[in-house]
Amino acid sequence: MENKPTREKLLREFAPQIERISASSVLWILFLLGVIGIGVYAFVTQVTEGHEVTGMRDNVVWGIYIVNFIFFMGMSYAGAIISGALHLFRTEWRKPIIRMAEYLAIISLLIGPGYILLCIGRLDRLPFLAVYGRIQSPITWDVIAISTDIFGCLIFLYLSMLRDIANLRDFSELKLPKWRKKLYSALALGYTGTPEQEKRLKRATDIMAAMVIAIAIIVYSVLAWIFSVTLQPGWHSTIFGPYFVIAAVYSGTGVLIITMFVFRKIYRLEEYITRKHFVAMGVLMVVLAALFGYFTFSDYLTKWYGSEKNDENLIKILFSQYYWPFIFSNYIGVLVPLLVIGIPKLRTINNILISAIIVVIALWLNRYLIVVPTLESPYLPIQDSRPAWAYYNPTWVEYALTAAGVALFCLLFTLGSKFVPVMNVSEMSEIPKSKGPFTEEESLV
Amino acid sequence: MKDLQKIVLIILLLALVVGQKTVTGQEKKDTVSEITPDLKLGYLNTSNDSITLTADIFVKRETGNFALQNAEVEFTASADKENKSLGKAKADVAGTAVLKLYVKSGLPVDKEGKTTFTVSFAGKDKYLAASGNVAFKKAKILVTFTKEDTIRTIHVKAVQVEANNEQKPIKGETVNVYVPRMLSNLKIGEVKLDDNGTGTVEYPGALVGDSLGNIAVIAMIEESDLYGTVKGQSTISWGIPKQYYLAEKPSTRELWTPIAPIWMIITLIIMLTGVWGHYIYAVVQLIMIKRQSKQKKDYF
Repeated sequence: MENKPTREKLLREFAPQIERISASSVLWILFLLGVIGIGVYAFVTQVTEGHEVTGMRDNVVWGIYIVNFIFFMGMSYAGAIISGALHLFRTEWRKPIIRMAEYLAIISLLIGPGYILLCIGRLDRLPFLAVYGRIQSPITWDVIAISTDIFGCLIFLYLSMLRDIANLRDFSELKLPKWRKKLYSALALGYTGTPEQEKRLKRATDIMAAMVIAIAIIVYSVLAWIFSVTLQPGWHSTIFGPYFVIAAVYSGTGVLIITMFVFRKIYRLEEYITRKHFVAMGVLMVVLAALFGYFTFSDYLTKWYGSEKNDENLIKILFSQYYWPFIFSNYIGVLVPLLVIGIPKLRTINNILISAIIVVIALWLNRYLIVVPTLESPYLPIQDSRPAWAYYNPTWVEYALTAAGVALFCLLFTLGSKFVPVMNVSEMSEIPKSKGPFTEEESLV
Repeated sequence: MKDLQKIVLIILLLALVVGQKTVTGQEKKDTVSEITPDLKLGYLNTSNDSITLTADIFVKRETGNFALQNAEVEFTASADKENKSLGKAKADVAGTAVLKLYVKSGLPVDKEGKTTFTVSFAGKDKYLAASGNVAFKKAKILVTFTKEDTIRTIHVKAVQVEANNEQKPIKGETVNVYVPRMLSNLKIGEVKLDDNGTGTVEYPGALVGDSLGNIAVIAMIEESDLYGTVKGQSTISWGIPKQYYLAEKPSTRELWTPIAPIWMIITLIIMLTGVWGHYIYAVVQLIMIKRQSKQKKDYF
């Protein structure tokens, strides 16, 4: 790779983003803070007035908070699996996008669990989970798994950023305030790229890359088991673990493509993030679309063919009350990426972006269709329950907090890109010692 | 002026139509507010000359049955032209009113030996009057026991009481035999009565009784068109005294117990040790990188 950009060149290019915040960035951050502020107001309303201000009632005790939780956690695991796998396979085209995948993993992981807290009526009793938690409970598994995952992702992100932090510490042309220089100096741990340090860093990063993949699979399976270990119609399924993992990576791939597009435009990274990267991610999305479609079909087919009364009832509801969301989620969300990537003429960056947006919306709806219709059709009618309580309609409080989560996600991504370059500068300037299985020359596309 | 008259006429007509609708709506509301409750009468004839009458009073609603607690009902017995009040009872929280009678004799019977039991609710507030009745012939079931070598047998004999108080065997009816357990009766056999109104069933072993081994055996004709529900009961010391019965000791490590099963704890420890072990290894590598930074050298 004789045309490799040097570290200096790359750092010079990213210096404006690292050194200062433009007026448009300030406006963008203020807008995001405004949305978060509305979310804070909604949260205060919910705490002071109780969960009555939400659409959740006796039957439907989980609403879009849980949908958001599953969605954000899915994005996180997708980020972890994609970044871990790309790192381990030494894929050459990973270099400009792997940092985004790592950010996706950790930022989503920090936001997702917050939605669980919003579901809890008595937040003051939260410590009881630690005091009286039982190992047999899937909720306890989830708490252990998520906290373990947060540490794993943080360590992996730190390891992969270490060389770039050292770059920022040592790059004299960078005009940064003293405190930031000191911060970079402290975080760089005295890394100077000696062979011994490099060897240790590579070893640790490889191990953590493998660990984050394994943990992401386990943790998202645990999340799926929270649903599937119950006997609820639509949830009690043995394939929910792998189904959730595939759906997570699928939605995360969509979000990563959108992120790539946004940063490419804002930071003018057209030279580094090319059509090849979008097509490569598109191919990954197609494989996942096929797997997701297969799992969805398999799950609903067995339920429909079994003709078990409650499953049959649930499928009827999905094909009547939730007809369009169901069609969008399970047909359009699968077929569009297959067509866009499958037909070479349609493989443009814009088309891939559109199919990624469709995938993200479809997968959010997929989680909604998993959570809400099942709760709207319980096994036993609740005594003296009002019919209106059997149906779920999210309120402004829930929408405001959902928007706040998305805004926080964007804000952390923006701030992260201002702290360390959104592309892995060290890896970009590195000449590969050996070809990996998917080097650029042997690109799948 | 003509226009004004037209407008006034239209307004008056509208007022008439709307007014009528309002009145009709009000009338409907009044009609709807009156409800006829459902009243169901249950009958249990125990062979010690007692009869238990139960009345369930409720209103059907979309969300399920709504019990009329504290509704007072009256029970009567009648035959031909004779009518006798048996007593009154109030419905409990489940809407059930119970009346227990000891009736060796004195109940009016028709020439077939049947008595018609009626329960009636006089009506209160918006709840209209309601009634229900059943007509049954008095019957008795006798339970006795024999033991020959190791075979223990339960004998059942059922008789019907005629109008002249004469007792005649009940032929061809099915009698179910139970032993009471903690939550419900356990069926241990079924007897088809012969021409003498008798039948037998073998006593199964290994039934736990009280501390002396006493165990109650219940024989029942259930929901017969002619006799209603008839119950006979007798006690025998064929049960295993409960202090000698060693129930299977429940495990303290189950899915539902406070302490988790061992396999679960071991699996969790293995997984967490594996994961956190690798984390620690990665952190140790970072510490080593920091230590090696003593050999200072600029990255650029």
